[in-house]
Order: sequence, then structure tokens, then C-alpha cells
Amino acid sequence: MALDVRLINRLASRLIRLALVLLCVAIVTFGLVMLSPIDPVDAYLGPQMAQVSPEQRALIAERWGFDASPAVQFGHWLNQLLSGELGWSHIYNQPVSEVISQRFQRSFILLSSAWLMSLLVGFALGVIAGAKEGSLLDRLISGYAYVTASTPAFWLGMLAVLLFSVYLGWAPTCCAGPVGILNQDVSMLTRLHHLVLPMMTLALLGIATITLHTRARMIALMNSDIALHAFAQGASRSDIAWRHGLRHASLPALTLAFASLGELFGGSILIEQVFAYPGLGQATVEAGLRSDVPLLLGIALFTALFVSVGNLIADSLYPLIDPRMAQEQP
Amino acid sequence: MRRTILLGLVATCVAFSSPAFSKEQLVLAIGGEPEQGFDPLLGWGQYGSPLFQSTLLTRGRNLTPEAGLATTWTLSEDRLTWILTLRDDARFGDGTPLTAKDVAYTFNAAKQAGGRADLSALNKARAIDNTTVELSLNAPRITFIDQLMTLGIVPDANRENGYREGYGRQPLGSGPYRLVEWQEGEQLIVERNPYFHGPLPAFERLVFVFTGEQATLSAAHAGQLDLAAVPPALATNLPSDMQRIVMESVDNRGILFPMQPATGEQSASGAPIGNDVTADSAIRRAVNLALDRNTLVDVALNGFGRPAFGPADGLPWSLDDEAFTAPDSDRANALLDAAGWERRADGLRYKNDQPARFRLTYPASDTTRQLLAQVSAEMVRPLGIEMQPTGRHWDEIQREALHQDAIVFGFGSHSPQEVYYLFHSQHAGFGFYNSGYYSNATVDSHLEAAQAAVGAEEANRYWQAAQWDGNTGYGFRGDASWAWMVNLAHVYAANTCLDLGELGIAPHGHGWPITANLLEWRWTCD
Amino acid sequence: MSMIQPRIAAAGYISLLLIMLVVLLSSSWWAGHNASQMQFDARLMPPSTSHWLGTDALGRELWSRTLAGLRLSFWVGLSAALLGTLIALTLATLATLSTTLDALVSLLIDTLLSVPHLILLLLLAFALGGGTQAVIIAVALTHWPSLARILRAELFSLRHAPYVAISQALGKSRRFILVHHLLPHLIPQCIVGALLLFPHAILHEAALTFLGVGLDPTQPAIGVLLADAMRYLTGGFWWLGVFPGLGLLLMVLSIDRLAVQLRRAL
Repeated sequence: MALDVRLINRLASRLIRLALVLLCVAIVTFGLVMLSPIDPVDAYLGPQMAQVSPEQRALIAERWGFDASPAVQFGHWLNQLLSGELGWSHIYNQPVSEVISQRFQRSFILLSSAWLMSLLVGFALGVIAGAKEGSLLDRLISGYAYVTASTPAFWLGMLAVLLFSVYLGWAPTCCAGPVGILNQDVSMLTRLHHLVLPMMTLALLGIATITLHTRARMIALMNSDIALHAFAQGASRSDIAWRHGLRHASLPALTLAFASLGELFGGSILIEQVFAYPGLGQATVEAGLRSDVPLLLGIALFTALFVSVGNLIADSLYPLIDPRMAQEQP
Repeated sequence: MRRTILLGLVATCVAFSSPAFSKEQLVLAIGGEPEQGFDPLLGWGQYGSPLFQSTLLTRGRNLTPEAGLATTWTLSEDRLTWILTLRDDARFGDGTPLTAKDVAYTFNAAKQAGGRADLSALNKARAIDNTTVELSLNAPRITFIDQLMTLGIVPDANRENGYREGYGRQPLGSGPYRLVEWQEGEQLIVERNPYFHGPLPAFERLVFVFTGEQATLSAAHAGQLDLAAVPPALATNLPSDMQRIVMESVDNRGILFPMQPATGEQSASGAPIGNDVTADSAIRRAVNLALDRNTLVDVALNGFGRPAFGPADGLPWSLDDEAFTAPDSDRANALLDAAGWERRADGLRYKNDQPARFRLTYPASDTTRQLLAQVSAEMVRPLGIEMQPTGRHWDEIQREALHQDAIVFGFGSHSPQEVYYLFHSQHAGFGFYNSGYYSNATVDSHLEAAQAAVGAEEANRYWQAAQWDGNTGYGFRGDASWAWMVNLAHVYAANTCLDLGELGIAPHGHGWPITANLLEWRWTCD
Repeated sequence: MSMIQPRIAAAGYISLLLIMLVVLLSSSWWAGHNASQMQFDARLMPPSTSHWLGTDALGRELWSRTLAGLRLSFWVGLSAALLGTLIALTLATLATLSTTLDALVSLLIDTLLSVPHLILLLLLAFALGGGTQAVIIAVALTHWPSLARILRAELFSLRHAPYVAISQALGKSRRFILVHHLLPHLIPQCIVGALLLFPHAILHEAALTFLGVGLDPTQPAIGVLLADAMRYLTGGFWWLGVFPGLGLLLMVLSIDRLAVQLRRAL
């Protein structure tokens, strides 16, 4: 009974903090954008700015409140934000909310499959490497992990394109679907075909982090009292790895996976650029390069929301790890 | 039994094979997605052949006017009134007939729209009857016929399905194709217009994909494209199963210099005007003299082009003795020394403490222009001038760099009208044309005289005088307003089965010049 | 005996890495002029004995451009790492001064950590307008939060150390305790932190430059080299993409290993 109340309390305080953090993110991003040398009316108009008369510019400035003080502008923008109005993207000629939802759908497949893959493969490799510490296999796996962690993501993508697309021709070089075909006519298989290379490249980097972390946990476990206890009772090394290791190392791996959502987003920006995959990451770069302020703000907030939720989950999982391990000490 | 089956098979094959129509859909990656949509009143098709609409006249292979929507056309004695008779079988994509009212509306609305280059010469367009149109001008204008050849006709706003806001995204026209779907930034799908009055196009559907240079090449290598525009520098590594098509053109590239000093003035859209370094004619002349145009053709164009010394090399309205010896660093250095640009220890020239340094801006996605910018910067450096090649997106260029940076621009037209837009002070700061704010009263008067000329020959004399009349001009001997670099040929990779007919001469690249003879294209494989 | 052997191995490893670093950084002497020299008759040449790593579209030697790019990445990454460490130290110290400041700093840290690194970098680069200085500041501002968290935790735990209590009992001012007891204890943490930040800074700078919002594209930064290589990828000019990235990987890996070794030694 008391546990439930404590849990709810903790959850509530975490949610409040989440909301506070998001508000701060909004302030920071808005402030950054205000700093930029772009005239907000220009940013709003995009390429049409040359054709608009000075009177029309004044009208737009008034309507969007560009001529007010930054604090007032922020309030105005926040207001619109809370009612779901994110502004208009001049690059894509659509409301920002539409751009984000459309593009996020495409990115989501990429992100989720890469996330899942890095979790599963990273965990597996980490367990194997940890269980067989010092062996050739361990050295190969940890070597691979160290090297990948130092590799620029976009370079890896370029190598993948060079090898698998240009030379071997196994996978397409770009985009989410083949050119010239209507969006709805693209088959699931073709979509997957276009997804494979970007997804694997994106996963490759996430695998490294989880592998190293899981490996460290496994090694700690193998040297811990629990393992000693099990050895004394006649269990084999692989027995321990399987029965105890999986349980003890899986939660930390999951926690880490949730905490590294931010890195995943960052990686997806680069990967989408290399593979010309029309997802949210590519839209972010376009928004930055072409000064599409509303879109940039919208994407920043959206991803911050995601990452915050991920961090929240990770933070909530942490206490589950340690007390459990502490409890099982004989 | 077997013979019957065989005969049946053969019969089926014969029934289904018709060489010109055996391919339903053609996929093209030739760039040129219009920001404003497919709206002739906002500039779509200003280089000719707007796919969705028809024009009154068309430009023949030798650049002379031929019949289009209009079957006859006459210009009055005083050169102020055009009378055109239209054909009676032209229909819009929804089946409704195209009448003189639509033509009159189009011209009157285009004059107001302001998004398109200049119809200010037009006084009024009037439909005399269903098939006769009268266009009256304010003053004689010899290049007005270009409007007749490039302005696509839109339906009258007062009728059903007429012109309204958003037309550019759902263009209704009488051209050979009509729009099916447009995913902006990605692709455009068009299908044959069943009501088109001309010969039936060979392909039921066309898909235009708006991929960048790299994605286009990837898709070509993957066999997904039937026609792809290729930057000349990469034209030697085409996929093995595609043929290389080279279309000659009057397309050119050059460096536009801001002509005014930086006084803090801004254009209507807030972009700063002027550059203190390029405002000095010694600098502009020196840059012209430093460029080794043959090397530029080699390095940036892979040989697909030739040196350029003016905006219309080889065309009748350009002088043919405009070329000068370059590179000539002695002459360039002497010019700079005489103008007061002193070399200092860091190798750079200074005048009144102003370093000879300015940005050379180009659209970042264009490999050819990047190469041109980098090589020309390198060629100019030994003179003590530092041009900084800066790649930017067009949006950013418009917002900031348009009137204060030197820009690698490209132009090239079948008509001398472009010369007017580029160098007449009336067009200073208008769109991309005279963005350097070039202004020379004598040149203005030559240009106006050309427009008012009676015939092409007289006009050409004035066009040429604007370039150099013995005293002044926009060319190198006069104000050296530009540093023209190269004329380039357009290179495409095409499916070996695609026969593009006899290609003409292309103008500047935007707007699908290769589709000018679209109706002659054939598929030669079964 | 078993204490010394790994130490010798570590020392040997470190010296090897340092030698490589010195060679790289001095390369502006013995290879600098080559990086921008265009050879128009040797464009897009594959690697060979006369062109060690091949040439690019303007005939510039890839090996000297790569070295120049690595030097650039090194200095920019180092500046960003140092700046980031300084910011982290300052803010962590501030956090110990009062509970309100602590709450504010923690909120700031959480805020910055919830925006994905690259997006924050893009925002900052957008706000600051691009260029070398902007990149250094942007990378520093993106990386200080994680280090600040660690330093703050350290400071808080140190505050309860016995010698601090003794100092307080002796009547020493807070500032004295801070400067003489706490900060010196943090220095090894800072050094390690800076070293660990360094490779990330380099990678993020390269990413920003690759996307087009980082260093000046007239400089042969690795990001610029790789972004350019993208144009020529389908043409089969593989060396343009492989070598600069490989160089960056080797440099980042070496610095990372160096940091790990140093952490073990400290």
C-alpha cells in the first residue's frame, strides 16, 4: 500500500519535472532562434520575400506579432503551440505539424527498427563478450565496439553506400522508395529494401554502446558473490551467464537503450542525409540550412519531448536495478 | 494444334506491339521544379514550352516564330497592335474550348501579376471575337513577340475552373499533358491531355523526379530513370546501359558583380545592396583578365562547353569581337596598380585600407558552379584579390547575398529581351536579373532604342551598341559589369531506347529545355 | 612486478600515440603547401605512387588535404573540449553555492540533455551563424552538461569529507575551502573529462561541417572533404570518401585510447 503511494508520488514529481524541462527547452530554443540574424518575416515568407510589398510585410509582422518584444512574442508563440498551431513551413508549403507527422512516420520505422536491433544485438554481443572475458571472441567484440564508438556515423553510411550499393548493387543508394512511383503504390518489400542499409548503419553505432555496457555488467556479475555462490553449487559458466546474467544485465541494457534515444535521433539526422531518406532528420537539416524557423522550432520541441520521455523511463528503471541486486545478496 | 497456338501467339504479339507506344511511362530527372508552381503568370515557362499550357506562337528550330494556338498573326504599321487569329479546336484539360477571352485574360492578368518579367509594354489585351485577339502596346517593343512565344494561356478567371489562387498547384491548360499529382520536393506525375489539339504524344505518362545531383546519379545507375540531367563534370561516368546526350545551348555561366558601393542601402526585401570592392572597375576588369576560360571549360565542364565573353555569345544581338586575350596577368596587375590597389606583405591588395576581398556566392547544390567558383578564385589569387567561394541555398542567397556578393549566375536566352532585363536600370534589383544594380544611362538609351527599332537588323545594331558603342557599354571594354566564364552544353544520360528526335539549341537550364520537342520523342525498343 | 608491467605497456602505448600526434600537428610544416594546390591535369586520380591517396576534382592531393583537415579537427575539438570543461567546472561550482543555484543549474543541465545533441548543435549553429568560432562555442555548449553532472556529484560528495569539516571548524571561509580543498581534488576529473569530451567534440564538429553548418567550406575540414566526396560517390571515386573518414577514425580512436590510459594512470 505504502509502496504504491510512493511510486505514484515519484511518478508525479517526475512528470512535473518533465513539463518544467520541456518549458525550458521551449524558452532556450525560442531564445536561440531569436538570436539568429534572420528577419522573422523573411523566414516566414521564404522565397516569396522578394515579391512582397513593404505594406504586406508590415501586415505579416503585425499578425504574427513580430514587432512586439521577445517576451510577448514568446508568450504568443507558446499560446499557439499549446493549441496545436505550430506555424507554417515555407520549405514544404505545409503546416509544420503536418510536416512533422508525415516525416516522423517515415523516420519512426527507421528509428524503431534500429533501436530494437541495437538493443537485441548489443545485448547478445555484450553477454557473450562478458561471459567469455579475455577470450579471442571477447577481444574481437570489444575491439569492434571501441572502434565503432569512435567512427563518424555519416562516414559509416558512406562506406555502406559505396560497398553495398555502388559496387555490389545489393541495396538502393538512396531514398525511401524507388523514384517515379506513387507513394501508395510502393510495396512493403520495396520499402524494407530501401530501409535495410540505413537501418543497419544506424544500429551499428547503438550496438557498440550497449555491448560495452552489457559486457561490463556481465564481467561484474561473473566476479560477484552471486556467481561464486552458483559455482559452489556446481553450475557452469554458461549456466550462470544464461540464468543470472540475462536477468541482471538485461535491465541495465534496456535502461541504457532508453537513455540513448538522443544519440539515436542525432545519428538518424546524419544517416538520413547520407541516404537521402526523406525523414524528420533530413527535414531538420533543411530547416537549419534554409532558415525555416517554425519548422526548426517544432522539430526541436518534438524530439525533446521524445528524448525526455525516454530519459524519464530510463530514470524510473534505475531504482529497479540496484535494489534488486542489493536484495539478492546472501 | 501447335501451329494454331503459334499463330495465336504471333497475332497477340503483333496486336500488342506498337513501337512508339510500347512504353507507357517515362521517368525523367531533369531538375527545374518551380517554387511558385506551374503558373505562367508567376513565371512558369518563361524560357518556353510550358508543359501544361499552350502558347500563342512557338519557336521554330531556327528560332523564328511558328504557329501555336494562333494560326495567323500580324503587327500593325505603327508596331503598336498585334492581331492574332486562334485555332478553333484548342481545348483545356477539362474539355472546354479555349477562346480569345482566355487569351485576353491571361495577358491582362500577367501584366498585373508582377511575379513575371515585364509585360509593362502591354496596354491592353482584348478579345474581338471568339477566335480573334487584339494586343495593344504602349510603345513599339521588338521583343514583345517573345511573350507570344512563352506565355502559357490560362483559363479566364470568370469561367468555371478558371484561374484562381492556387492555380499553380492545379494548372488547367491546353498543353499536351495535364497534372495528375505533385509531391513537392519529390515528384510530379503528368498524363496525356486527351483534348490536346496537336499530335498525340508518344508517352501516356511522364514522371518528373526532383532529386538532387547525387540522388539522380544513383537512380540512373540503378536503372530507375529514362532521362537524367548530369552535371558535365560527372558526365564521363555514366551507367553503361545509358547513352550520353549532349544538347547544345546558349546557356552560360559568369560572375555578376555588385556595381554599387556599400552605402547601407537595402532592397525592398531587406537585403543589403552594394560591395565596395567590386564597385571598383579595376577589380572587375582584373578578374576578367585573370580567368583562363579554356581551363575552366576543361575542369568544370569536362570539355562540354566553350569560353564565354558576353551574355549572348554567337547570337546576332551580341558583338563578335567581344573576346579578349586572357589570362593576361601583366595587364591585370598594371590595371590594379594604376587604380591604387597596393600589395601588402600578406599578398593581398589594399586600397584605402580596404582589402581586395569579397565573397563569390553560388548555389551549394550545383557542382558545376562550385567548380567554377573554386577554380576562378584560384586563378584570381595571384593578382592579390581574394574571392571566397561560398555555397548557399538559393533561399539564403536571395535573403542576404543577392545584391552584395559576387554571384556565379547563369543566363542564356533565345531572345535579346534578356539583355534588356540584365542591363537596363529599370530592372535593377528585380528578381534575379539586374541584381548587381547596374545603371548606365547611355546603355539604357541603346536598349530602349533597340526595343523601338523597326526590324531585327536595326535592333541588333542597338543591342550591340549597348555592349560597346566605342565609348561605354556593359561589356568588358566598357563597364565590365560581369566576368563571363563559359557557355555550357547540357549533358543528359538517356535510356538507349529513348529517341529524342532532333534537338534544338537550349536556353538557360531552368524549365526543362530538353522537352521543347517532346512531341517528337519515341521509344525505339519493343 | 605485476604493478609495473602494465604501467610500462601503458607508457609505451601513450608515447606511441603522442609521437603520432606530434607528427600530425607538425605536418603543416612539411606538407602544408600541398593542401590547396590545384593540379588541373591530375584530377580525380585514384591512389598511386605519385598520388598517395589520390586526388580530388580539382587535382588537389588527398593525403595533404586529409592531414590539414585532421589538424583543423584537432584544434577545433580541443578548443571546444577545453571551453566545455571550463563551463562545466564553473557551473558545477556555482551549483554548490546555494540550493536555488543548484536547482537552476540542474534544471539547465536536464534541459540541455533532453534535446538530442545534433539538434541542439544545429540550433546553436543556426543562432550563431556558422563559422569556426560558432562551431567551437556550439560544441562546448552541447557537451558541458554531462561533465557538469559528474563534477557536481563529486563536489557534493567531497563537501562531506572530513578534512572539509576540519577546515570549517577552524573557521576558514567557504571560498578558501573551495579553492584549496575542493577544486584541486577535481583537477584530475577535469582533465579526464576534457579528454573524454575531446573525441566527441571532434566527431560532432565533423558532423556539423558535413551537414553544411559548421566550419568554413573553403577550409579542408574533414566534414567538407566528406560532404564533397558525396557528390562523386556514384561515380566510383571511392578514395575521396574512404580516406578522410579513416583518418578521422584513427585520430579519434587514438585520443580515446589515450584518455582511457590516462584515466587508469590517474
